[in-house]
Amino acid sequence: MDLQTKIENNAIIVTISGRLDAVTAPEYEKKIRELIESGNIYMVVDFEHLDYISSAGLRGLLVMVKLLNAKGGRVCLANVNENVHSVFDMCGLTALFKMENSVAEALAALA
Amino acid sequence: MIKIEHLSKKFGDLIVMKDITTEIKQGEVVSIIGPSGTGKSTLLRCLNLLEIPSAGSIHINGIDILDKNTDVAKIRQKMNMVFQSFNLFSHLSVLENLTIGPINLKGMSKQAAQAKALELLRLVGLAEKADSYPDELSGGQQQRVAIARCMAMEPEIILFDEPTSALDPTMVREVLSVIRRLAREGMTMAIVTHEMDFARDVSNRVLYMDEGIIYEEGPPEQIFDNPQKEKTRAFINRILSYTCRISSPDYDLYAMNAEIEAFCEKQILPKKTGYNLLLLVEELLQIYRPFLYTVVLDITIAYSEKKERLELICESTGEELNPIDNENLTDDLGLTIIRNLTESIDYLRLNGKNRLQFLIKTNLL
Repeated sequence: MDLQTKIENNAIIVTISGRLDAVTAPEYEKKIRELIESGNIYMVVDFEHLDYISSAGLRGLLVMVKLLNAKGGRVCLANVNENVHSVFDMCGLTALFKMENSVAEALAALA
Repeated sequence: MIKIEHLSKKFGDLIVMKDITTEIKQGEVVSIIGPSGTGKSTLLRCLNLLEIPSAGSIHINGIDILDKNTDVAKIRQKMNMVFQSFNLFSHLSVLENLTIGPINLKGMSKQAAQAKALELLRLVGLAEKADSYPDELSGGQQQRVAIARCMAMEPEIILFDEPTSALDPTMVREVLSVIRRLAREGMTMAIVTHEMDFARDVSNRVLYMDEGIIYEEGPPEQIFDNPQKEKTRAFINRILSYTCRISSPDYDLYAMNAEIEAFCEKQILPKKTGYNLLLLVEELLQIYRPFLYTVVLDITIAYSEKKERLELICESTGEELNPIDNENLTDDLGLTIIRNLTESIDYLRLNGKNRLQFLIKTNLL
């Protein structure tokens, strides 16, 4: 898993690539926690290059939502591919996450 | 007619066939099926004495053919063989291929041998090719000539060693229909074949060979519809499997993923199926993780090409325990994914092991 960040329109765009699974989820959670603790509470997570997600990855995302909610922040996911989306569906989490088709749309949704 | 007892064959230290005991009765059509390299062709070659068995006996109509005083040439006239690679004489015409044996070995007149040869060529639908040479014929036509040549010696039994393996699919049918006709006419035959539908239709009895033994034998209805033994079932249903053993919580998930992906690629399973399998395996491993300090877990993925059925089996050592019933799961996300990916989940305690069997949803294939 690789994680890149950049700031745009007062939000942080987190681009994640590779896999979000039992091996990589702890690292994801740690980095996201650091970002939120340093004040980045409006977040777009770009999944364009995320190939795979498991329940371990979903747990990392749930932690992210919980931390942001506690700080009055928000998150929007962008470019969620079909395989990854199907895992959200299976777990009934699709409604819990705001999802948009592009980073631009996600930024707009947060504005 | 043919009685085989405790027949074995070794090549150096390699045992290719061991303790084969069976009988072929007059008028019987016996198909010999099984994976490659399990001794099927060796059995036929031993019957025809192209290979000399290392142990055991073969009696044909009461005559011990392994007795050094037995006239091997005479035995071969009674029991002729059709090979995968036709083995026609390329410098002789089709007619000459059929007449050389009867003239030289049976003392038949040229005229009588030619008349018989033409009759047999008509039987296999190749009378108009009598003056052609083998290399002017297709593979299917060459094999039909080889069958007619075999018949020209008026054998009591014909041994077929994978008669259609060297043919392209379009030519298989023409050869099989000739063999079917011989079966209808009551010819005694032993046929090594990979053509399962053919073996089912044409045989009175089927021998399933595996690891050098007759692993299971019975009527075609038993072998093809209700095989009694595990390896026969796996072969008939074309089950291909991959097994991985995990004996520590520090397993290498990515190495395992690479092997599962390679398995899916080999079976030409859709990419989505591969994705779901990786997901299922990861979720299961997460559930098993607390137990992996003390138990050994075998994960098997089994795909039946024939039934288009994909199963995942987790077999673990240790006390009776169904991990997915465990109330200590931190949440039900993993279990929810597992239930979504599978059609059925069965747990049973078998041979002192815990066995969890998952049938993966077919709409995912």
